[in-house]
Amino acid sequence: MIWEVFRQEKSGDYHKHCGNVHAPDREMALLFAEVQHGRRKPTNSLWVTPQKEIGEVDTEDAAFGGTTDKSYRWAMTYNFEAAASEVEESESEQASAERERKAQIEGGS
Amino acid sequence: MDIEEVKQRAGPREFSPKDEMPEKYRKAATRMIQFHANSEIMGAYLEKPFIRQAPSLDRKLAFSAKVQDEIGHGQLLYRAAESLGIKTRDEMLDELAEGKGKFLNCFHYPMDSYVETPMIAFFVDGAAMRRQATLKSTSWEPYAHAMDKVCFEEGFHVKHGEAILYELMTGSKKEQEMTQEAFDEWWPRIIQFFGPTNEKSTHHGFASEVGLKQMSNDDLRTAFLNAYIPKAEKYGLEIPEEPRISKNDDGTYEVVEEDLDWDEFFTIAKNDYEPGVGQINGRKAAQDAVEWVRESLDSHENRLYGSSQPQAAD
Repeated sequence: MIWEVFRQEKSGDYHKHCGNVHAPDREMALLFAEVQHGRRKPTNSLWVTPQKEIGEVDTEDAAFGGTTDKSYRWAMTYNFEAAASEVEESESEQASAERERKAQIEGGS
Repeated sequence: MDIEEVKQRAGPREFSPKDEMPEKYRKAATRMIQFHANSEIMGAYLEKPFIRQAPSLDRKLAFSAKVQDEIGHGQLLYRAAESLGIKTRDEMLDELAEGKGKFLNCFHYPMDSYVETPMIAFFVDGAAMRRQATLKSTSWEPYAHAMDKVCFEEGFHVKHGEAILYELMTGSKKEQEMTQEAFDEWWPRIIQFFGPTNEKSTHHGFASEVGLKQMSNDDLRTAFLNAYIPKAEKYGLEIPEEPRISKNDDGTYEVVEEDLDWDEFFTIAKNDYEPGVGQINGRKAAQDAVEWVRESLDSHENRLYGSSQPQAAD
């Protein structure tokens, strides 16, 4: 049986997928994940889940973010100087997300 | 997906288990990844004795960590190969035990003396890492993912090998001589690591067309020679006269193929080279010895999830 492994590097981080292991049950899957994926890279916590329990939807099945122009929901659209640093930070995160999304759409077509 | 579409789309990490790949691609990728996985395992067994034989505690610890890493790389790669749906991990491990699984030429030669360890740990691992770095952009995504982790760990292996080489080449006169002798013996094998020139490599064409292989053997050999000849010379090793190697104006190298023993190379490629057979059988003995562990894991899994498990409880 194959178990997918997710590693959290440090407390407070997301668990990110890092590979998978063969194991007969959950307890051994955790042990093998520890040996295989938690030994060299910084690790705070590991999750395992049976591979067949993973569900997926991808760009073939879904239009993530919609198909119409939704510029109204981005901070960059509203041309005012940011009132505070947290607003500015949020806007810059949105701007780089938008760039990535555009690159992805262009790259995919 | 048909082969033409595969060739058209072929790019770094382009294909994953959710794509329906043609059998020809899946077989070629399986052949390549299985070879790679087998090599990790056989390399680990080659170095295992030096966990005991290394002359200091630091070196023993480092060899132990390295052998652990290599076995782990084998496991990662068998998973990447399995995800192609051609062979299971058990089948590939059995093929290796039965002498049907192929692996790198250098790991068929026994390593008898500690002075030989940097030949594997510095030069062969250095050569392997050169190739592995290019495979981070192979078209089979699980293979590329495995390479991320392998390359992350491999840096320590090559530097550890270099540290041993430095130590031996700044040691006693006798140590230096023995190291040079080991280098003379291993150098042609290390050159052969990259296989014959492209024209003779039967699998290269397709593997590179579908993006599995990222760089030709000749380019890899040139990159390796460019980086490692200066290193060898820096530590006072003399490059053997044969095989004759000359540098072209464009920075590539010409290796005189007739200076290399290709009969031996192809005997090795068929797993017929005698010392290598001993190493295959040695690993088989280890696999047989822990058959009971695999059996108990399997029967435990069958008990939990096997056919006895109710399909629809309600």
